Formats: sequence, structure tokens, C-alpha cells
Amino acid sequence: MDRDRYDRSRRIPWLDMDSVFRSGVLIVGAGALGNEVAKNLALSGFRKMTIVDMDKVVGSNLNRCLFFTDDDVRRGSQKAEAVARGVRAISADAEPRAFVGRIEDFPEAEFRGHDVVLGCLDSIEARVHVNLRAYSRGITYIDGGIEGLLGKVVVVVPPEGACLQCGMNRTHARVAELRFSCTGKDVVMHTPRLPAEITTTSVVAAIMVREALKVVSSRPDMLLKNGFLYDGQRNVSEEIEIPLDPSCPVHSKH
Amino acid sequence: MAVRLKVKNAETGATVEMELEVENTIDEVIESAATFWSKDMGAYVLRRGKKVLRGGSSLEDAGVVANDVLELIPDPEGG
Repeated sequence: MDRDRYDRSRRIPWLDMDSVFRSGVLIVGAGALGNEVAKNLALSGFRKMTIVDMDKVVGSNLNRCLFFTDDDVRRGSQKAEAVARGVRAISADAEPRAFVGRIEDFPEAEFRGHDVVLGCLDSIEARVHVNLRAYSRGITYIDGGIEGLLGKVVVVVPPEGACLQCGMNRTHARVAELRFSCTGKDVVMHTPRLPAEITTTSVVAAIMVREALKVVSSRPDMLLKNGFLYDGQRNVSEEIEIPLDPSCPVHSKH
Repeated sequence: MAVRLKVKNAETGATVEMELEVENTIDEVIESAATFWSKDMGAYVLRRGKKVLRGGSSLEDAGVVANDVLELIPDPEGG
């Protein structure tokens, strides 16, 4: 019994470990959240993961990214590849695949073959892109966001549910417009560095992966409906509801 | 028709009273409150109870009534 790596997981009645082993997960973003999410997925038994990120590891990542080392900083390792290496190190059964590039350049067809998408992103534009791609393919999208001690998780379940964009407003559009006008597409300028630390990241990543486990275990009845807020300063968390917006572009395109 | 309501700053607990028309939109309330508290440029949402309010909705369409307390929450963007 103690030789079985997943013995304790198998004792959770609703958890479908065979499905966990079989299911494909797309992790978009390999920063702080991406590291924690990948770790939780690997320890939970997920084997098939694709990790997408365009960036290289830098020194300031090291306060919150389990799989990044000083050696990665020196060598200028790609984040997606470093996370894939880390996953292999903690789970011999895992088959992580790294895609180095922007999510906008990730082939649309490759969204297929993934049973759930986990968004670990740091921009509104990228979130909007992933939300649309996942929704239009009927794949559940679990989005995480952190800023200092604040965290948020949104679970998007097509084809009936509200999507991430349903919960956006003019302030989101302004941030996206400003970043676009400042940056062109590829070079980020004038973007304030968001405060980030590991404890909030860990909480948000844990919720995201727990929801992914429910998705692949066919337990939609247990999923968040449809958002979760965490405030680490006051130590409070609660569910919130993002209603479907019939005028949301995702629903009119879908 | 005018409606008085309170907006609460989720980060500080402070509140501000606003007198608005029912035709005002949730977007306008968010921007007014963010300006009042000199919030950093960023994404925010407004909620009533557990429900996030749609930006383009008027107060009337969103079901906001006099003396409601709405809460302004930062929408965490980082990952």
C-alpha cells in the first residue's frame, strides 16, 4: 500500500485517478503561478502537460518559483523548459512538453488534446486570447490571478457558463489599450511590476489545481460557481459569481 | 431618477457615498470611485453581495437600488 505513490489520493472517493493519469492539461504561463500549478498537477498524478511561456528566468523570479534556480538565471533558461524539467524531476511518469513562445503563437489546433486549460498569465490581452480559444473548443478554462496578497480564480465552463471576459469592464480595456499602445506587441514598457510573493501564489495555485481535479473527475457539481477571491491580508476568502453577459464578444462569436 | 448608494473600498474598508442617476453605468461608478481614492491604473470590478456587476449595465439594469453598498475590488492581473 505504501509503495503506491497515489494510495492516499485514491482514498478520496470522488477523485478519478485513471482519468487524472490520462488527461491532458495546458498550462499557459510559467511564472510564479505556473510553477506552483505544475508542481501541484505533477504531485496530483497528471502526466500529460503542455507548458507555454515566452520568457527567460531572471533573478527576481527566485522568491516564488520552485523550479527555477540560480543556474537557470546564469544560463538564461527558458521558463517553460525549466518548469518541464522540474516536473520530470518530481514525477517520473510525467510527460511535460514545453512550448517556448507567446500563447498567441501556440497553434490553435493544439488546444485540442487538452482536457483543461490553466491560465497562469500576467496580462489581460493574453487572458482574453486563451479564454476565447478554450471556450470556442469547449474546454474548461481555469484562470488564476495574483497581486500582492490578493488572489482570484475563475472557472469557465463552456458552452453554458459565463466566461472570463463576461467579468471584464472598461478598466480592463483601458489597461489592455495602454499596454498595447506603449508596447507594440512584444516589448513591455511602462508596465508597473506587480507585487508578488509565494504564499498567495500557493493558495491560488492550489485552488486552480483542485478545480482541475474536479473537471477531469467529471464532478462539475463540485466546481466553483464561478469565481473565488482570496485576501491574504485579512485572511478571508469567498466565492463570487460572474454572470454571463449576452453582449460579451465571446458569446456572440461562439 | 437619483439614487444614493455607498461604495466600499475593498482594500481599505473606507466607504464613499455617491448620488447617481439610474442611467449611470457600473463602468462610471467604478471609474469615479477609483479616481476618488486615487487608485493606481489597473483593472477593478464592482460587486453587490457575491455578484460581479456588468460594466456596461446601467444601475437600473443591474438592479442597484437606493442605499445599496457596492464594493470596489482590484482584479488581480499578475501570475
